[in-house]
Amino acid sequence: MRLHEYEALDIFEQNRIPVPRRAVATSMHEALQVAGEIGYPVVLKAQVLVGGRGLAGGIKVASTADELKDLAEALLSSEIKGLPVRKILVCEKVEIAQEFYLGFTIDSYSGKPVIVVSTEGGVLIEETARSAPEKIAAIHIEPTFGYYPYLSRSLLRRLGLNQQLITPWSDVIGQLYNVALRYEALIAEINPLVVLPNGGLMAVDAVLEVDDSALSRVRLPLPDRIDRIENPIERRGREIGVSYVDLDGDIGLISSGAGLGMASMDIIGQRMKPANFLETGGGITADLLYKCMELVMMKPDLRAIFINVYGGINPIHEGAKGVVRYIHEHKVKIPIVAKALGNRQEETWEIFRSGGVHVVTEAATEKAIDRLYELVGA
Amino acid sequence: MSIFIDDSTRVIVQGITGRIGSAQTHWMLEYGTKVVGGVTPGKGGTSVEGVPVFDSVEEAVRETGANASAFFVPAAFVLDAFLETIDAGIKFIVVVPEHIPVKDVVKMRSYAMEKNVFALGPTTPGVLVPGKGKIGIMPASLFAPGRVGIISRSGTLSYEFAGILSEAHVGQSAVVGMGADPVVLKNLADILEVFQEDEGTDAVIIVGEVGGEQEEKAAGFISRKMNKPVAAYIAGRYSPQGKRMGHAGAIIRGASGTVQGKHEALRAAGVEVLDTPIHVAAWAKKHKLR
Repeated sequence: MRLHEYEALDIFEQNRIPVPRRAVATSMHEALQVAGEIGYPVVLKAQVLVGGRGLAGGIKVASTADELKDLAEALLSSEIKGLPVRKILVCEKVEIAQEFYLGFTIDSYSGKPVIVVSTEGGVLIEETARSAPEKIAAIHIEPTFGYYPYLSRSLLRRLGLNQQLITPWSDVIGQLYNVALRYEALIAEINPLVVLPNGGLMAVDAVLEVDDSALSRVRLPLPDRIDRIENPIERRGREIGVSYVDLDGDIGLISSGAGLGMASMDIIGQRMKPANFLETGGGITADLLYKCMELVMMKPDLRAIFINVYGGINPIHEGAKGVVRYIHEHKVKIPIVAKALGNRQEETWEIFRSGGVHVVTEAATEKAIDRLYELVGA
Repeated sequence: MSIFIDDSTRVIVQGITGRIGSAQTHWMLEYGTKVVGGVTPGKGGTSVEGVPVFDSVEEAVRETGANASAFFVPAAFVLDAFLETIDAGIKFIVVVPEHIPVKDVVKMRSYAMEKNVFALGPTTPGVLVPGKGKIGIMPASLFAPGRVGIISRSGTLSYEFAGILSEAHVGQSAVVGMGADPVVLKNLADILEVFQEDEGTDAVIIVGEVGGEQEEKAAGFISRKMNKPVAAYIAGRYSPQGKRMGHAGAIIRGASGTVQGKHEALRAAGVEVLDTPIHVAAWAKKHKLR
């Protein structure tokens, strides 16, 4: 789960990482009040969960109350990369002597936590990684050994920093690592980490993504993740426990695995357009597939539905019962093609056929999509 | 001698008394796998599908001579059970459950490497050796004995590829699910090495996915060490770009794990890149695989 910048800044502050004075505003009047307390100039930052926000016009500086009124009004009625801006963060504008980058992630290939630092922070950090790799240093943490401050000190010395900066910066690294550990972060990032004119450091931005699988034990003092999903069908998908991604096509999809779902979209996409991605995971029941049918049918103007499921861990014969019950109760008129193989496949086919579902018994998804293509008369 | 599973493989099922654990024990036994015991703390002395249940892995190993384990333990308890299993001396572990916190997987992977344990997963269907046995959840009807190896990040796509090959009368030497999580217990290149050294395998199919760098690293291994034909399919060309927000991953990788980037790396290593799964049948025919 990705946290909003203002939520991540609060957590950073609680963990003794220096952050600017700030408050969240949901209206121009609130923004005006906050700015009055902080003092001009202030930075207004759209709180949307998307990368590249600054380049997309989501960050503005207001030097006066008049400027703030216009900018706050405009930001709060705008969209950034398709997401409506409901909140803005009003921040003190600090003097910046230098910008650094500090990031934590889990290196998936080595399976180790990694800390990345750079003496050139800012929006073009990935470009710096390519063009000036000597300005970037990274250190992998051995899981059985853990983190110690000397690791940061040697990392920073490799970047040629002087001792006055190494001490405060290695403190921030240790604090960020603690945040990452405590909140089970997949990503914890400060970009930029700025050097103030007095030599102190401050995190003027914060990214924190918590491992979804750890949410039940991390216990963040924040609203539930379901409330963060903007799209109503995707939100409903999360509620019933499946992964649903809304797309712009008209062929509905229900699959029993992420890989199979992605491959199904690739194959549908060769000639038609998928309306959604839906993956059930290993928890199929009659009730779940009934709800999956409801979910997929929430999208208007579907031309057909494709069901692609395997009976490995999943009782697909149970799933088929749920689909057929939905078809009968809602008198579904659009064609439904199902490919269902594995344990109890013959029984599953019979149930699907009893609901008028077109069953394809060959192994290749391409064959099923051929059938679907014929049926929609494209 | 087959790889991964042979006549000496003796499996325990951890979480055997659960709904999925007991159902999958049934399917594993039906396929001829030697399931010799199960473990559920507090349920020792009972039995499931005629298999004795023990309170601890140590006891199960002592009483049954087990040397492999299949996990059907709830995600929150997997780390604890995994460490227990390694300490009990088991060297081959299949971790089926999904939604295990990455922090736990990092510890599991580190301990397994330290103790020289071969572990698959998490979020894996496990491994199936046609005609020999299976450890995990793969549906047996789709597989046939033969000489082609399959390694897949996705469980369901491993079934898809095995099914297409079997329909085309091309059998498999072993089918391995490496797990769909961001961090896995065994990387793709390490599993490729097992197939490269296996006399019963003539060629290997990689079924990958967008994201991460498993396929890119595997390409390096293939160009250095492999002389068997390799084909690869990467799912996710049509998938919408994730709303990625962090830079650290991209900085250390230097690339973002796109389908195109993976195709280029694999082609440069001499791998035949399949545009769509069904093309695997023609590839197998071209190489006269069976």
